[in-house]
Amino acid sequence: MNRVRMRSLVRVFAWTGLTSLGGGRSAYFFDAVVTRRPWVRTEEFVQDLTLAQLLPGPNFSNLAVLLGCRLGGWRGGAWALAAVVGPGAVILAALAAVYFRVGFTPRTAHLMHGMAAAVIGLIVVMTARMVRASIRTVPAAAIAALVFVLVGVLRVNTVVAIALVVPVSLWLHRPR
Amino acid sequence: MTLDLLDLLRLGWTFLWLSFLAIGGGLAVIPEMQRQVVGRFAWVTAQEFVDGYTLSQLTPGPNMLIAVFVGYRAHGVPGALVAGAAMFLPASVLAALVQRRWSTLRGHPWAGAVERALVPVGLGLMAAGVFTLARAAVHGWATAALATAATVLLAAFALPPIVVVLAGGLVGWLAGL
Repeated sequence: MNRVRMRSLVRVFAWTGLTSLGGGRSAYFFDAVVTRRPWVRTEEFVQDLTLAQLLPGPNFSNLAVLLGCRLGGWRGGAWALAAVVGPGAVILAALAAVYFRVGFTPRTAHLMHGMAAAVIGLIVVMTARMVRASIRTVPAAAIAALVFVLVGVLRVNTVVAIALVVPVSLWLHRPR
Repeated sequence: MTLDLLDLLRLGWTFLWLSFLAIGGGLAVIPEMQRQVVGRFAWVTAQEFVDGYTLSQLTPGPNMLIAVFVGYRAHGVPGALVAGAAMFLPASVLAALVQRRWSTLRGHPWAGAVERALVPVGLGLMAAGVFTLARAAVHGWATAALATAATVLLAAFALPPIVVVLAGGLVGWLAGL
């Protein structure tokens, strides 16, 4: 029933999780399970990717779970999640321990401030690319702008904003 | 001790419902997460939140590991475990459940409509997340210039993001930002 052995699934997913630094993280998965290995077909990958973005929850772990389930059922999904989240969680907990215990000397604080400013550049570019690729109509642009102003500028509660805007967006994008 | 346990539950519950707000990506949930963990419960300060996001960018794996960072600050290792599990487990179970049904739903016209309707909402939330983080990370002309330089460099050249982020850290260290 399972397409791959559980041990190789864990190895490949853990490696993909550990090496996927920076933007475009799903691209690393495409490389690992479609390009390098005959595990998943391209159209299957696209389906899983769309679903991962559509579903609530962190995209990257959603994608890992969906691919894992496809390759090895429930167990595959569970192992995929553990393999992708576990190593990073341990590393970040260790970094957090250092950060909060040692505190930052003024110099390391400067380092962090510089990196934080550069991260803003990274997420600006990433978001702009996604907007350019995915927003093609005036209603879609209006919905995105409305959500941005409500949540970002006016600081409206996100749940409230979603509850207000999603029905409008569904109506604008209804099947016809 | 009982108080701690209560706050641990609160931590888990907060990250659980936050995880379900992430439509189209983790960045979408940043404004609300900041409001909850900085403003409402004061588990971290605004500066620690930005630093935690930066550290989670530098850590392999999903960015939403920032939950682990906040949880660790609030309640040590148990806090990190609770926050991490709340962020990733329920959403993953939902994903696995939906996948079993999705193939039958896919042909339905409203499935496509839901997909098209949620994309701009998710992107608007992401943009709001950028705005929220920028407001905390950019203070004064020097950090603004650095953020702008990073934006231009990443937009113009296909540089690996990690290189630009580490270069920003180096500049900050040398310039004493």
